[in-house]
Amino acid sequence: MTAPAHGRRIISVKGHTMDNPIKTLQDKKSYLDLRKQERVTLLEVLDRALTKGVVISGDIVISVADVDLVYLGLKVLLSSVETMERLRGAPIVGPMQEPT
Amino acid sequence: MKELLYLYCVTKDKPSSCNFEDLGIKAHPIFFSGTYALVSWVSPDDFSEDNLKKHLADMGWVEKNIRLHEKVIEEIMKDQAVLPFKFGTVFENEANVEKLLKTNNIGFKAVLASLDGKEEWGLKIYCNSEYFKDALCAGNERITEIDKEITAAGKGKAYFLKKKKDEIIKDVINEKISEYTKDCFERLKVTAVDTRINKILPKEVTEKKEDMVLNAAFLINNKRIKEFENVLAYLKTKYTDKGLIFDCTGPWPPYNFCKRTHNG
Repeated sequence: MTAPAHGRRIISVKGHTMDNPIKTLQDKKSYLDLRKQERVTLLEVLDRALTKGVVISGDIVISVADVDLVYLGLKVLLSSVETMERLRGAPIVGPMQEPT
Repeated sequence: MKELLYLYCVTKDKPSSCNFEDLGIKAHPIFFSGTYALVSWVSPDDFSEDNLKKHLADMGWVEKNIRLHEKVIEEIMKDQAVLPFKFGTVFENEANVEKLLKTNNIGFKAVLASLDGKEEWGLKIYCNSEYFKDALCAGNERITEIDKEITAAGKGKAYFLKKKKDEIIKDVINEKISEYTKDCFERLKVTAVDTRINKILPKEVTEKKEDMVLNAAFLINNKRIKEFENVLAYLKTKYTDKGLIFDCTGPWPPYNFCKRTHNG
C-alpha cells in the first residue's frame, strides 16, 4: 500500500483505524488525530457514494438512497449534542451550540 | 420477508474474488454479455424502500453500511475499472439486475472502457479567510487608497469609511480566493482526462473551522499521477502562506465520472 506524499490512500487510512485500533496510539493527541482522520474520510465517502455514482431510475430498482448531504450533516451534529447532553443529564440547549 | 439484491458495481471482467470475509459480505456476480454486476443478498429490514428511508436518519447505520459499500468496490477496483453505483441501489431479484445490464449494455461497456487505467482523485481546498485577511489584502490598491482617506478624514467620516473598508476587504478576499482556486483548478486540469466541480460543503458538514472554497474531482490517467502530484506540490508551495489548505484524497472509485442516464 503506497501513501503518496500529498495525500492518503484511503484504503490505508481505514486499514490503520480498523485493524490496529489502540496499539499504534502513542498518546492522546495522536488518538485525536486519528479520530479526525476517520471523520474526514467518512465525509469523503458520504460526499461520493451518497451523492454520486450510477443512478438508475425505473421499475426494476426498489430503492436508491436519496438524501441531502447537508441534512445528514446537521443530523450528525444534532444527535451528537443530544447524546452529550443526555449523558450529563443536562437540558438540551440550542442545537448548534458547541458542547463544552 | 424475501431477501433483496444490493448492487455495488459493474465491471467488464468477472471479479477475481467475491467473498469478503473480513467485511462479512458474500457477494456474487451476475453476467450479461460482457458485463458483470456484483451483488449481494441483503435483508429487507435494512434495505426495503421504507426501512432505507428510516435508516438514513441514523448516522451510525449510514456510516457502517456506506463503508461496506465503499470497501467492496475498493477491493474490486484493485484489479480492474469499476462503475460504482450510488449507495442503496437495491433490486428485487436477479432477473431485474440482468435487465439493467441488458438495457445498458452498450452504455456500460463504453463508460468502463473510458475509465480503464484512470483514477479519481478528490481535492477539497479550505481557507481561513479571517486569519489570512492581512496576507490576502497586502498591497491591494483599493485598500491602500481607503486607508489614506481614513487617516485624512475627521472622526465622523472615518467611521463610515471604515465600514466601507470592511466591505472592500470582503470583496478583495472573495476575488483573491476565486483567483487562487481558479488557478489551482486550471493547472491540475491540464494533467487530467476529465474534471468535475462539486458543491461547496458547509462547515456544519465538514466540521472544520476553515471555509471550503473548492470541491473538485479529477480523473487522472494512472501514467500521469506523478504529474498531478507535482502540480499539487507546486500549488501547495505557492498558496499555503496565502491561506489555502489542500486536502487531496484518492484513488477513489470513479463516482464522479460515471454519469449517463441509465434506464431501468
